[in-house]
Amino acid sequence: MNEIDKARLGLLPTLAEHAPAGHIGRTALMKYMYFLQTVRCVPLGYSFSMHSYGPFDADVLADLSSAEMLNIVDVTPVEFSGGYGYRIRPGSKADFAKRNASAFLAEYAKDVDWLFSIFGNMNSAELELTSTIVYVDRESARKEQRLPLSDISIRVNEIKPHFSRERVHGFVEDLNFKGVLIATVTDPVRRAG
Amino acid sequence: MLRFLWTFRACLLTVGDAIVVKDLHRQFEIRCPIHGFITLNSWEREIISQPSFQRLRRVRQLAWTDQVYPGAMHTRFEHSLGVMHTATLLYSAIRQASSDVLQDELGYKEEGLTRDLQLVRLAALLHDIGHAPFSHASENLFPKTEKGERYKHENYSAAIVRSELRNAIEDHPLNVTNYGFKAEDVAALIDGSTTAKQRLFWRDLIDGQMDADRMDYLLRDSFHAGVQYGKYDLNRLVNTVRAIPGLRGRAPRLGISEGGWHAAEGLVLARYFMFTQVYFHKTRVAYDVHLRGALEELLPERQFPSPVGEHLKQFLMWDDWKVLGLLADAKGGEHGIRLTTRDHYRLGYGSPEISTESDLGLVESIKTELGDLVVAEEESSKSWYKTGTTDIPVVSNVDPGTVLPLSKYSHVVLNIKPINQVLLYVRPEMAQNANKIVRGVLEHERNRQGTFGFAPNIS
Repeated sequence: MNEIDKARLGLLPTLAEHAPAGHIGRTALMKYMYFLQTVRCVPLGYSFSMHSYGPFDADVLADLSSAEMLNIVDVTPVEFSGGYGYRIRPGSKADFAKRNASAFLAEYAKDVDWLFSIFGNMNSAELELTSTIVYVDRESARKEQRLPLSDISIRVNEIKPHFSRERVHGFVEDLNFKGVLIATVTDPVRRAG
Repeated sequence: MLRFLWTFRACLLTVGDAIVVKDLHRQFEIRCPIHGFITLNSWEREIISQPSFQRLRRVRQLAWTDQVYPGAMHTRFEHSLGVMHTATLLYSAIRQASSDVLQDELGYKEEGLTRDLQLVRLAALLHDIGHAPFSHASENLFPKTEKGERYKHENYSAAIVRSELRNAIEDHPLNVTNYGFKAEDVAALIDGSTTAKQRLFWRDLIDGQMDADRMDYLLRDSFHAGVQYGKYDLNRLVNTVRAIPGLRGRAPRLGISEGGWHAAEGLVLARYFMFTQVYFHKTRVAYDVHLRGALEELLPERQFPSPVGEHLKQFLMWDDWKVLGLLADAKGGEHGIRLTTRDHYRLGYGSPEISTESDLGLVESIKTELGDLVVAEEESSKSWYKTGTTDIPVVSNVDPGTVLPLSKYSHVVLNIKPINQVLLYVRPEMAQNANKIVRGVLEHERNRQGTFGFAPNIS
């Protein structure tokens, strides 16, 4: 097991502990890892690519399976009206995994705090949406494109047409205000009429 | 030149050349050992004829697996055709059974669905065009991006579509007249660019838990390897695949109707058995080690050219034939000689397929005792084919508004664990020596703990 593997396994129960409810779901786990790696440059070594449900890397779920098997986390299926989800909590070997990654966790503790200050209270749908916004933003930055907020909203809405344009734009403005986006320029002032 | 030729053909069309028009709409059939006949239109046939696609005839699907299963000599060429065929089956089934979800949540109309079927076919056909020689076995030799992430074969596939195949995709009369797709539209579905817009939904048919890629390679690899693992009921799975509505504001995703859960269970098990018996077979994995070692000797700067600019053309010059030629000229170093003489590394010790923390601790102890005798360490969790978490949504027959995970229906899937085996290799000439050391460590552990709960995996 290399250092990145240890870091990832130590981070899993840490994220669950930090969550306001004391547990996280699988969507939250996926998007938290994405935000940490992409926005805060935490070196996790994942390779996210875009799907209709936001950035995804199957290696995150593979790590979750490994952590579950080694009792680093407990994963419980949860049913709700019409659907299901998962509840990920620290397991009996969580402390062992955290000790193995103690230097890494200490170095990036502030990033975990930042993560929960911005995204800690979002539900799965909001995390899918906000991670898609960040993906569009970073893709634009990679292509050296600067986009008005409204253009980012339009692009995100084209990927996620089940959200209203207003709702998307609200999240874009909020993320921009909080300094999460890097490819944005201020929208030109629109003339009345 | 190609652009000129197509323009010329388009001119013929405008004057009503009946023969050319007839050619344009002709369907072509290719025999496939898995699916029977695979049908192509003239546009797809033109793309397949391009040198960058023909190169796939010279890229084996399973690298050096034939050293263990002699029949496994098939290539990415036939697999790519199979993925296009399977993706078409899945797309058509979803379109028929889930038109409400496609309309309500993704805004599709019939014309859009007809149009995007062609796009999905092209993306499926071309998704593997960026494979390096011997496929996944050599992916560790892809260079890294500026951000430090290693390129994946999908990055190469998308780059080839955007450059080498651009004219063949954009200028064909079938496209010009009927679709107007850009090469970017195809590439975006392959590498997940946001320009794919709502079509990203279909990306799960190419890269997802129940994708056409996996459905094809399991059946095809099983067939060619000559094993009885890897088989499942493809027809039943296709008949039951659905677009599942997004729950609580989330995006819609692929799933199955309740009647298909046994078929989905079969797919999960097929993957599990193929991994343990074929993909992570101890000798097959040893040949991956040797291939990587030999390629490091052969490649300029010990890695493949990047998928950027002119480097991509250099990358496309690498195929199995080139590597085999260089190996025949004894340019692959020690690993090259081992490949050509079938003198592979031997397994010194392998942990159980499902290793506990103490099993992994034992691996560390053995590794320490073996010291320099260990020349390679391979982890199943790092394999491209690794089995991970499976979470296929199943729609209830009784209440179509209720979706549950496959593991709720299948106790087998519920209890299946990820394989986290570690294999330690030694040189063949040192195998006996290593064996003694390993037995010594195991004896010591046995005395300390009483007994083992598994049969130690040593050569």
